[in-house]
Amino acid sequence: MLASQIKKFLLPTLLSISSLSFSSAFAAEGLSYHLSPVPATQSVDFTLKDMDDNTHRLKNYHGKVVMINFWATWCPPCRKEMPSMEVLYQKFKDKGFTILAINQWEDIDRVFMFSADLDTPPTFPILFDQKGSVSEQFGVQGLPTTLVLNKKGQVVYRAVGGRDFNHPEVEKIIRSLLDK
Amino acid sequence: MKFILSCFLIAFMQNAIASEVTPKKNSRTGMLSWHAEEPEISLELIQLLPDYVKAVFSSRGLPKELINTLQDYCVFGTIIKNKSTDTVSYQITDWRYITADGKEHKIKTKSAWAKQWADMNIPFRWLLLPEKQEFNVGDWSQGFTTIKLAPATLFSLRYSWSHQGKTKQRTLNNLSCAPATMAIPTSNN
Repeated sequence: MLASQIKKFLLPTLLSISSLSFSSAFAAEGLSYHLSPVPATQSVDFTLKDMDDNTHRLKNYHGKVVMINFWATWCPPCRKEMPSMEVLYQKFKDKGFTILAINQWEDIDRVFMFSADLDTPPTFPILFDQKGSVSEQFGVQGLPTTLVLNKKGQVVYRAVGGRDFNHPEVEKIIRSLLDK
Repeated sequence: MKFILSCFLIAFMQNAIASEVTPKKNSRTGMLSWHAEEPEISLELIQLLPDYVKAVFSSRGLPKELINTLQDYCVFGTIIKNKSTDTVSYQITDWRYITADGKEHKIKTKSAWAKQWADMNIPFRWLLLPEKQEFNVGDWSQGFTTIKLAPATLFSLRYSWSHQGKTKQRTLNNLSCAPATMAIPTSNN
């Protein structure tokens, strides 16, 4: 009886406390804004579906500056940086800039629940890479990883780990790529 | 010859430091964490209860078959950051954990886990700390590190990193795996 009560009530509570502890350890970390320039390399192409079952092919975005963000809902820094991505997207979406947030492993229901819970839900496309094949093609080792592509479809900036994208230095980079 | 050997020894000692980092206890969970600061990187290890690890994998919809593969491992939440103004790299294949008998052991890497799970027809490769990274300025990673030890076992960890062509290493002593379960607070009522 006691064992079953422990299992039913205490264990989930303890797990959630423990979970909060691990998450908050990450969440407490201040995010930097630094995007590192990398030697320009032509990006691989991919085709993925979004939450509304629309198909997105990277090649069709050539001519735009594209930020590709690999993420998952279980990844605390991914969750933390997402609102700042939305702010950046709102600032530049009408100027030839877009964000493609490529979710790893998860299904639409889980991502929908996560997005609905955010104060600033993302309005940029969220794509699903359920087998992780696109992240593998890009050599992504961990989440989040963010790449910035110039108008020619070349990867020119990279960030591994969470970032604050709502920062003047990031805006400066995006603006300079849009002006080229 | 003696002079050359002495120089070599001094150079080695400068790059290989053994030390203790006072663990921090989370007042809510009782779990310990260790935070090591180097000029180029920071490393944080956070104890995780076995049940928590199971719950994290389980909540990803992963089957019991996969979760059971972790049962002989103690798992740490791990955060590694580049603090320098240059690139820094690490390779977990170079890291070792040292048990009380003085023996050194390799850490099971993310790709070894991914291969094992792929052989089970489960193509899952997330949650674990990437085994090899080259960090640019501001880069950092987080994920689980798995050590094949029983709960509450004490061990040391020798970790290394490379910066500007030099590889440095440090050993953290008196680390301990999380207990098997956490004591449930008792009430006076």
